[in-house]
Amino acid sequence: MSKVVQAINRYKADLREFEFLLFEQFNLRTDILASDLYEAWGEDEIRTSLAECYRFVKEVTGPLNAIGDAEGCKIVDGRIKTPTGFKNAWNKLYEAGWRGISVKPEFGGAGAPYAIMVMVEELLSGSNTAFAMYPGLCAGAAEVMMHFATDEQKALFVIRMIKGEWGGTMCLTEPSAGSDVGSSRTTARPLGDGTYAIAGTKIYISGGDHDLAENVIHLVLARVDGAPAGTKGLTLFIVPRIRPNAEGLLGEFNDVSVGAIEHKMGINGSATCVVNFGENGQCIGTPVGGDARLNQGMSQMFVMMNGARIAVGIQGVAVASSAYLNALDYAKDRKQGSSIANWKDATAPRVAIIEHADVRRMLIDMKARVEGCRALAIKLAYHQDMAIILKGKDDEASAYHIGQVDLLVPLVKAYSSDQAFRVCETAIQVYGGAGYTRDYPVEQSCRDSKIFSIYEGTNHIQAMDLVGRKLGQRGGANTQAFIGDVAKFVAAHSEHPRIGGAVKQLAAAQEALAGSAMKLLYWFQAGKVQQVPLQANRFLEMMSEVAVGWLLLEQAVIAHTKLPDVAEGHPDHAFYTGKLFAAEYYAHNVLPGVAFKASLLDNENTSAIDIPDAAFATV
Amino acid sequence: MKILVPLKRVADPDNANKVKVTAGKLDTTGMQWKPNPFDEYAVETALRLTENGASTKVRLGEVIVLTVGPKEAETQLRGALATGADRAIRIDATDDDLDGDVVARAIRAVVEKEKPDLILVGKQAVDGDSNQVGQLLAEYLGWPQATFAGTIKSEGDTALLVGREVDGGTLTLRVTLPAVVSVDLRIVAPTSVSSKHSPTHTYADGVRFAALMAIMAAKKKPMVEFKLSELVSDAAAKIAYTTHELPPPRKAGIKVKDVAELVDKLRNEARVV
Repeated sequence: MSKVVQAINRYKADLREFEFLLFEQFNLRTDILASDLYEAWGEDEIRTSLAECYRFVKEVTGPLNAIGDAEGCKIVDGRIKTPTGFKNAWNKLYEAGWRGISVKPEFGGAGAPYAIMVMVEELLSGSNTAFAMYPGLCAGAAEVMMHFATDEQKALFVIRMIKGEWGGTMCLTEPSAGSDVGSSRTTARPLGDGTYAIAGTKIYISGGDHDLAENVIHLVLARVDGAPAGTKGLTLFIVPRIRPNAEGLLGEFNDVSVGAIEHKMGINGSATCVVNFGENGQCIGTPVGGDARLNQGMSQMFVMMNGARIAVGIQGVAVASSAYLNALDYAKDRKQGSSIANWKDATAPRVAIIEHADVRRMLIDMKARVEGCRALAIKLAYHQDMAIILKGKDDEASAYHIGQVDLLVPLVKAYSSDQAFRVCETAIQVYGGAGYTRDYPVEQSCRDSKIFSIYEGTNHIQAMDLVGRKLGQRGGANTQAFIGDVAKFVAAHSEHPRIGGAVKQLAAAQEALAGSAMKLLYWFQAGKVQQVPLQANRFLEMMSEVAVGWLLLEQAVIAHTKLPDVAEGHPDHAFYTGKLFAAEYYAHNVLPGVAFKASLLDNENTSAIDIPDAAFATV
Repeated sequence: MKILVPLKRVADPDNANKVKVTAGKLDTTGMQWKPNPFDEYAVETALRLTENGASTKVRLGEVIVLTVGPKEAETQLRGALATGADRAIRIDATDDDLDGDVVARAIRAVVEKEKPDLILVGKQAVDGDSNQVGQLLAEYLGWPQATFAGTIKSEGDTALLVGREVDGGTLTLRVTLPAVVSVDLRIVAPTSVSSKHSPTHTYADGVRFAALMAIMAAKKKPMVEFKLSELVSDAAAKIAYTTHELPPPRKAGIKVKDVAELVDKLRNEARVV
């Protein structure tokens, strides 16, 4: 039996980081807030919102994190019962309005820049990943409908989902259609009145049912009878659990039932469901956008997919960041061993473990990775905001920003999620044995974070998206622009008095990366395509490291400029000093690995492919 | 009912950087600020008294928040506006030039302009813990006062039944309005406040959250500024601080050989037995 878990918040965030990114590294003030799109938003509103949202998650969602993990979800009388307190938190969240921060005012949101929403997502996910999944997926489903649904569908569904009156899910995966979505078997039979009879089974559906809202709206990928095979024949259907009438009053049960829930390694408070549609032939759905949108399911999904993939990257940053800050607290508090300077003296005073070199190495490693991944996510969000602002005003500039969003999405999703698991693992190592117990929060962080590299497209899918699609997009213009941005920074700062040496590491890494990009191209052209999937993950990691190293060094340049004007006792002094050291650490301890990895690509070793199946093991 | 709530900003007790003393003066560089928690309770109380609990969006009275402090203290006023207060007043002053007496006299001047029915204050601020402003203000105004309120029950618009937390229990006073009431922690328990609009409503425990939309709307709520000298003819503080010093750091513990030594130290060094 699991012991009784107390409702205590252990989530920590550093809001100074957020403000630095928004107002010092990225010019939110001049580039984004000045736009008439964001008239209602000023610096004050942003600071107050982030501070208030942080307070909200510490008091409402954070205390439920360990409870949700210990209790998990249950099926009671065919319905999902979420952990203690989740329903109350759901109500409070929608009352407070945080989930709608970037939703357009016409749908009931506050219309904030995307970058602000990314930060709110970090707070929600970091404080309680499992809980945040329910409103997160609801928002994703609503977003797809905002883009493609008919006006009637928007009025009926979207408004209620934004208010949290109804929940929402995305139903893609099936037992035989995981990464290969095109193999979906769920069917839709036209009933002649614009509605369809849906039949099939979906698995791994997060929040596939729950008791948080009075209805759950599923977006279900299904194949209309006679539609083409593969992804081209998939249509996205709106399938409510309970059928509403046109005024939104709930009527009959729509034959949507939960078959089972998964018992998982982490995010236990999030119900991962097997959902059966039309077991009794009574499940009715309508295509998102009506019959005019038949067979467009995949492209509709992709609108949400970018957002969902970014959100997973944020989940990684969020959980890893809190694990780091908790480990840091513990390291300052826990006394063990004496300073190495007194290594011969058995009676030397015990010191806090933060004084030990290896603990410091782990702490700065976590700091650099967390802050770097966050910078990358906010850079992406900044591009997204700029693309929206410049649309119709300067199409060339807007296209540049959209291109950077496309290019960075797989990096944010895959690199942040991979790093998250590793940072959490390092956090446990800082705690030692204590970190392996449930008395401290980091083992849950570690278990929760593993899914990030798997769902919303595994990290290998992200890597293949990067090398197969994104690198060559717009004739390679996006990639060239990215490399150009890094090169501009290198040229400007390689003789920097403090971090010039670190910038030269970036230059070397970038050169190696460019070489590896050419290598990939060569493999495509020279009929060595099998090399590509073998090295794609490694290439994604290399490119992410260049991006993260660049952004950390950019932070260091800013910090270096500002430091002389900040008094030594001022908290900003420590903050900027931290930025300098984190960037230097990353540049000298991570970036040199990029050239090394490039040399591994050059080896063109194919052991993994050539080894016979039977040779893997004799059992 | 029109309620005035004076609100003080205090250095956030959760500041990673602790208060420093430089040359005998408190050094507040780089401090994070937040509203004094007891003042937040006073705002919450005022909101509960001026709304129908079932529908918190409908205002049935007016809540004015006021602070005496520099421009940056407007952040705390905006925060109170975001939770539901209707308008704000800032009396411009530097923290160093203030004591409880000047603040009370400045508030009195505002009271004479605004003529509120009730002044709700936190029982004390968590920085100086002086516990003076409410009492001084009542005296200057010649109004009845009830301090350390743990419960408030409205009796129409004419009087309040105030449950005061005193040693050994609760002392209930009926104060006729206008009056000054200072509030304690338990005033924000779910049923501590019963207004004439919603005598039996059960609130969520503690201070309400500022909703996002209310934060956005707070920008448009009125905020006026007065100069301290416009309100009080003699703005000199009565308390002069000669110096500040931090408490001495705790000494490291020692190990004693045996019980005899322990008893000896307790008796002769610590003098506790």
